[in-house]
Amino acid sequence: MGKTIIDAHNVSKTYKETAVPVRALQDVHLHIEEGEFVALVGPSGSGKSTLLNMIGGLDEPTSGTVYVDGVEITKLPENKLIDFRLQNIGFVFQSFNLIPVLTSRENIGFVLQLQKVSKKDREKRVLELLREVDLEEKIDSRPGELSGGQQQRVAVARALASKPKIILADEPTANLDSKSASNLLDIMAKLNKEEKITFLFSTHDQRVIEKARRVITLVDGKVDSDVNQKPT
Amino acid sequence: MFLKLAWLNIWRNGRRTMITVASVFFAVLLAITFRSVTDGVYENMIHNVVSYSSGYLQIHKKGYWDEQSIDNSFEADEELSKNLLDNPKVTGLMPRLETFALSSFADKTKGVMVLGIDPTSEKKVNQLNEKVVEGIYFESNSAEQILIGSGLAEQLNAKVNDTLVLIGQGYHASSAAGKFNIVGILKLGSPELNSNVIYMPLKTSQYLHGAENRLTSLSIMLGKTSDLESSKEAIESVIDTEAYEVMTWKQMMPEMDQFIEADSSGHYIVIGILYIIISFGLFGTLLMMTFERNREFGILIAIGMKKHLLAYVILLESIMISLMGCLMGVLGGTLIVHLLTEYPVQFSGSLREVYEDYGFEPIIYFSGNIRIFIYQTLIVLVLASLLSLYPGFKVLRLRPVDAINS
Repeated sequence: MGKTIIDAHNVSKTYKETAVPVRALQDVHLHIEEGEFVALVGPSGSGKSTLLNMIGGLDEPTSGTVYVDGVEITKLPENKLIDFRLQNIGFVFQSFNLIPVLTSRENIGFVLQLQKVSKKDREKRVLELLREVDLEEKIDSRPGELSGGQQQRVAVARALASKPKIILADEPTANLDSKSASNLLDIMAKLNKEEKITFLFSTHDQRVIEKARRVITLVDGKVDSDVNQKPT
Repeated sequence: MFLKLAWLNIWRNGRRTMITVASVFFAVLLAITFRSVTDGVYENMIHNVVSYSSGYLQIHKKGYWDEQSIDNSFEADEELSKNLLDNPKVTGLMPRLETFALSSFADKTKGVMVLGIDPTSEKKVNQLNEKVVEGIYFESNSAEQILIGSGLAEQLNAKVNDTLVLIGQGYHASSAAGKFNIVGILKLGSPELNSNVIYMPLKTSQYLHGAENRLTSLSIMLGKTSDLESSKEAIESVIDTEAYEVMTWKQMMPEMDQFIEADSSGHYIVIGILYIIISFGLFGTLLMMTFERNREFGILIAIGMKKHLLAYVILLESIMISLMGCLMGVLGGTLIVHLLTEYPVQFSGSLREVYEDYGFEPIIYFSGNIRIFIYQTLIVLVLASLLSLYPGFKVLRLRPVDAINS
């Protein structure tokens, strides 16, 4: 049995801002080990993104605790939590979300700069990452000059920049064509296999689900099924 | 990196940034020109008034100002004058013996102020000779001659070459009386001075009052923009403050100082309104720049950027926009002030006559004082920093999940 990297206990989230409180998550238990490649599936509104936000420390649960790499992130003060995310968690969002005024080099280097990595090491790491996502030639391109697939690959490279233990991806292929999606999945699978990075991604995309080795299904904020499978 | 990010951010919407920069530019340009002309007019007014009356600073025997009597005069001292002239800010000295006397001509009499002056110093410092509208200026420092104000001449019905009788009190209660030939009539800027003053060569006055080599005051002229208080302190450090007192024109003529202060407050209000208007423009731009990037801020916080760094980037953006407008405004203001100093605007018609009647040159003076430029730039930069506090505060309170989902 591998080392536990994500451990969620009785996590519930109720949004009370609406006229009728909405229970987005109800007593979710989740246990993910280092190096897993997990898909979080379920219909819209089932709580996939909410659960990812809890694990990423972007939102606080109404009740329950979340441990990431042994640290109870639900108890961390804000600045320590931001630092924890910087060092341990990479994010990939549905709509890429690169900084539009920065080039690929600068977008990736930005995270390294936040980590106070020296300029020389930054340059080296940026090149390495762009090579991994096969976008070396786009190093000085701004997001507006890249296709959706290319932007998402730069976003993955940015997520990997800080050498995180986990990458959380919220519908990473939703805005991509099938070729770009397949390309991205191959890169993610390769990183998972070679660098033992844990991937947890929410998705509706059947191609993504087929690549996953474990599929967790959420329905109405509860874990409905948790299945290990042989990826295609 | 943050500097670069801020710089790139402000050009995301170049047109909006340029409009904001232009508004800062015009505000700074207007504020500099406005302050330059008001300060220039004040400086010139002060220079005109003090050069014929008190000087910027005045040295008396200690206690003279409280009891202005010839008995409180002091002995002219070469060493004192030399010490004062060693100060680079001092541009001239005017030794004076100021007394009061009864003047009489034919069947008319009037109380007058008798100013014993050094004709050469006054000519050099305030060009008193140019105020002579009839007759001539003094021929020597010991001639039995007087110059009288045109208002006084009118009241006494006296003309050039007439002889005036003066009766007053001399040093240590001696009597001071004599007949003096009017060699010239002066038209002075101040109507009060014009109707009450008689100028007399210093040595003649000292002889008349039995006050050989004595002065009631030593007026000190400074460069127009010299700092009054620091000059006063510098002078106090080189004289015997037990024997002498140093006073500024503000202490001697508080009514003029109060008038300038009151008039300036109105100008500050106008400039204040100008800055309030540009503040709204700048604030609007900052708010738009902040709120349209709400989602991006959420992403940046998610990937590990601390909120205070985001607030810092917003502050940099605000300062960059303002600084561009400021620098352009200072450049434009310098050009305008320089041009108007080189080619001053001259009054014409009745306004010119009014100015000349008051003894002022009919010219709009502009002040090139560097402080005007520095203050306006600092005001805008402080405003920019203050205005970025609100968007900065909003960023500090941002919840990344809400921002990402916005």
